[in-house]
Amino acid sequence: MNDDYLWDKSGEPDPQIQQLEEILGTLRYQPKPLKLPARRNYLPLLAIAATLVIALLAVALWLQTRKQVASIPAVAIAKPADPIIGPPLSVSTSPPQKVRPRVTKTDRQEALAAKQQLMFALRLASEKLNAAHRRTQDKRSSYENTLPN
Amino acid sequence: MKTLFQTKLAAPLFALLLIVASAAATRAQDSRLQLNSLDHLSAKASQTVDVNIDEKLIRIALKVFSDQDAEERKIKEVVAGIKGIYVKSFEFETDGQYTAADMETIRTQLRGPGWSRLVNVMSKKEGNLEVYLLMNGETVGGLAVLSSDLRELVVVNIVGPVNLDKLAQLEGHLGIPELGIEPAKPKTKNDDEK
Repeated sequence: MNDDYLWDKSGEPDPQIQQLEEILGTLRYQPKPLKLPARRNYLPLLAIAATLVIALLAVALWLQTRKQVASIPAVAIAKPADPIIGPPLSVSTSPPQKVRPRVTKTDRQEALAAKQQLMFALRLASEKLNAAHRRTQDKRSSYENTLPN
Repeated sequence: MKTLFQTKLAAPLFALLLIVASAAATRAQDSRLQLNSLDHLSAKASQTVDVNIDEKLIRIALKVFSDQDAEERKIKEVVAGIKGIYVKSFEFETDGQYTAADMETIRTQLRGPGWSRLVNVMSKKEGNLEVYLLMNGETVGGLAVLSSDLRELVVVNIVGPVNLDKLAQLEGHLGIPELGIEPAKPKTKNDDEK
């Protein structure tokens, strides 16, 4: 056997070494190009999100505009009427009265019932608070009376 | 190498945790008491009063309050900002119809954060009266009154900022006849001397 084989691969190799080389040769480093994981592209997701936001804003804007248009009273354009012969119209100089929101009969009944309940509850709370105040005052004064002068 | 949690999920989870924590904190500061545990007493009571007025109902009620009437203006001032008023009142024909455990279900809630007992008057003759306040910093965030004697149990819970002075002034000014809840005061020695 020639030891030079182990040193510089010259000379005759030992069969056992050759066998070992074959077995371990499968684990030899094999150069490969570096493969980095593909970077996730968020652009489509962002585009979808932006589209949704824009769509929502558009719908909100449309609803707002519709609401405003609905709240403007319709003005009827009438032909100028024939002059009416009669007493002159009296023009009120008093300030315009505050227009109250229209409350239906059912709403009013509901509100009155709620008012009654509210007043009862407030009354009860108030009475209990005053009772607590009175009773603490009574205790305090009776304690003070027991103190020697 | 950083894990998936460290890289992608940490920030959203932290935000979620913050939201949950803040929601829990808000819930903890809510002065609404759960009074349902007393409902079973209505079967034994000769008279039951159950008032549940939430913020919406308060707003509805305020529609019919007059600005011209001074008393109603006062009530409006007291009610402004209040988010709910809840009352449960039971009157019994015989003694001992409710138990200490019934009261304890309410008191347990009043031991929560923020609540403090302002008044506690105990009397065998006149019954017990407790007033609790929920403080949100410097302001009153809620009120609870527990009143009990042998034949009566009353719980009043006001949710939201309450002006106690203004509320106390309302008694006898609401155009409602006296409720006569407070029992007659026993004569004291001082009264006799007068």
